[in-house]
Amino acid sequence: MLEHGKIDGRQAVLLMLSMVLPTAILTVPAVVVKSARQDAWLSVMAATLAGLLITRLVVSLSLRFPGRTLFEYAQEILGQAPGKIAGLLYIWLFFLYIGSGAVREFGFFLVTALMLDTPMLVFSIAVVAVAAYAVRNGLEVLCRFNQLFIPVTGLLAIVFLLSTMDMKPARLLPVFDTGLLPIIKGAVTPTMWLGEIVTLAVIIPYLNKPGQAHRVAALSVLLSGFFLTASILEALLIFGPNLTGHWIFPTFNATRVISIANFLERLESIIVAAWILGGFIKVGVFYYAIVLGSAQCLELKDYRPLVLPVGVLLVASSSLLHGENIVEMLYYIPLVEVPFLLIVFEAGIPLLLLVVALARGKGGKS
Amino acid sequence: MRKKITVLLLAVILTGLLEGCWSRSEITEVAIILGTGVDWTEDERIRLTVQIAGPGAFGAGGESGPGVKEPPAWVVRAEGKTIEEAERYLAKKVPREIYWGHSVILVIGEEMAKKGAGMVTNFFHRSRGPREIMWLMVARGEAEDILEAQSMLAKTSAQAAGFLARMETSYAVQTREFAEMLASKGVQPAVTGLDVKDVGKAVGQGQEEKFPVQKKVELSGTAVFKEDKLIGWLDEHETRGLLWLKGEVKKGAVMVPSPGEPEKEVSIKVRRSRTKIVPEYDGENLRFNVMINVEGDMVEQQSREDLATPERIKALESAMAGEIKERTAIALEKAQWEYGVDIFGFGDAFHRKYKKEWRELKNRWDEEFSRADVNIAVEAHVREIGLLTKRASVPEE
Repeated sequence: MLEHGKIDGRQAVLLMLSMVLPTAILTVPAVVVKSARQDAWLSVMAATLAGLLITRLVVSLSLRFPGRTLFEYAQEILGQAPGKIAGLLYIWLFFLYIGSGAVREFGFFLVTALMLDTPMLVFSIAVVAVAAYAVRNGLEVLCRFNQLFIPVTGLLAIVFLLSTMDMKPARLLPVFDTGLLPIIKGAVTPTMWLGEIVTLAVIIPYLNKPGQAHRVAALSVLLSGFFLTASILEALLIFGPNLTGHWIFPTFNATRVISIANFLERLESIIVAAWILGGFIKVGVFYYAIVLGSAQCLELKDYRPLVLPVGVLLVASSSLLHGENIVEMLYYIPLVEVPFLLIVFEAGIPLLLLVVALARGKGGKS
Repeated sequence: MRKKITVLLLAVILTGLLEGCWSRSEITEVAIILGTGVDWTEDERIRLTVQIAGPGAFGAGGESGPGVKEPPAWVVRAEGKTIEEAERYLAKKVPREIYWGHSVILVIGEEMAKKGAGMVTNFFHRSRGPREIMWLMVARGEAEDILEAQSMLAKTSAQAAGFLARMETSYAVQTREFAEMLASKGVQPAVTGLDVKDVGKAVGQGQEEKFPVQKKVELSGTAVFKEDKLIGWLDEHETRGLLWLKGEVKKGAVMVPSPGEPEKEVSIKVRRSRTKIVPEYDGENLRFNVMINVEGDMVEQQSREDLATPERIKALESAMAGEIKERTAIALEKAQWEYGVDIFGFGDAFHRKYKKEWRELKNRWDEEFSRADVNIAVEAHVREIGLLTKRASVPEE
């Protein structure tokens, strides 16, 4: 075994929450509102249901192979060579892509919204360096770090509550204005974000009670879906359907509107704090998945020698893979990246693996 | 042991790097802007005027102690083809880095507003510094005059205008609300006007000479926009009507003739109000039922009659309802017949109820609105009458 740590169910839920939410809260609302307008919250609810299905699929698959990760059982199901190829595809096109995307978004947000003069590379290197340290120390360390700082994400809830003063429920009406199709279209992006919880396939073997995996997955999706809905509602109720889609980071702008008694203002720093901590966790989880997966595919005895090279790869691909500017990145996320990752890696390959496993009778009954 | 010391030393040395000297801005190196004005000059350029806070602008620091008193603000202007160009020219005159985060108001000059207010607000939404809750106002005349005006109770005219906006006596909007109105087809923007007048006089021994009557800012009417271009104004009375129709009356008073002595007035102060717009559409005829529900307290009576009887209160209530109805009718008439724009958000209300029909009507909404039938019903209640029943100075008969 490459990883000796064990985490409990709650740690896993919190880890998934920190992994999905920070990037989701910032980038997803604008994309969903552009398509579904004031019905965006319905899109996210639909996405939560779809997310539940996806994670159900992946967890069922993982539970057939107790104690083994996605990369190991793919080889058992498909045979050694095709299984390895599937594993490498996951590493290269899913984990590395989303991981470097998170590094890029992290840099973009900080540069666009806060620190204009700082080169993005500074942020990329900083977040990857910290994540590298956590990853080197194993899953347990990553989880404990997350547990320590998750209350900051909890502060988001307070910020949302404080912004109720500027909200008008009428901005959500009429419901079903644009019909069903835009709502479903709008649901695709949040489904992909919630579907990132398929990363559990790498983590389930290290749960101290793997039997809880279904509960962990469902709870992660529901909680993430709830917070994502809340953040979209916050932006919608403050800016209305027309303006929300015009901002790049609507939730960030919405918290800037809060002004209570001309005194309690500028709460965007809380969003930024939550974002920095969460962005680091997100990068950390995907980083961990890449390193562990590579070690398992290459049958190494230890994954630690891979931490440094993968870190370099993450930083490099963050600036090479995701467009030259924010416009390109925002253009490709909903158009290319989301459908591809969703169909192939979050639903397609797991489904294929499950079907083949059932057909060939591999793995135990879950 | 040695390892521990090395780690400790490293930690101490490395914290030195965490201070973040990168793009830092010390308070002594930034010019804090309190108010921003944008004008359209005669030679078709944009003139950016900013009111920069001096040390005296916050707190009482400036006044205390003898010696030279520093002025609370400094007004600078620069011109350019765009706001950014003007800002760059400003940077040649202002020896500090310009900081927008504290700008309380954004004043758009009348000419600029006619040219297009959207050209101005875009810069302020796009940049990170200025906040979405900056008050947007349209100057009667030039925006720079507003920023150059004096102020008595607030330190500067920009701060004074910000406080006035928060008094809820006029239709004050923040830049984000303006953007929302611009982005919607169901409502046209309306923004409070701002004027410079001789307001009040300083009194006290020898103060009249020290502080001659100065120009100060005053909220004045409402600017009416069609898309982002100013097309006209509502006066004070019409503004009240606008507020009633928008359901934005939170403070204010209604003056009605005393039931028994119609030549004398009774003042009723508004406590709370609610406005509901119910559209009705049968494919051809468009009709809006506006229901205004208002509660108020009687605070003043000029007449000598006894108003503290249930019948008189009822009469006051119906007079109040009539008065409000009249005010709304004036504003409505002006918007429908003179300007032909829906500044009340009737389109949004229509959209909420008839989403299918809206798709057809939204592109010619202003014409539809001008033709629409509007039915205003006001329900008024008088709750309190103060500490008196009758007028105290009237002898018993």
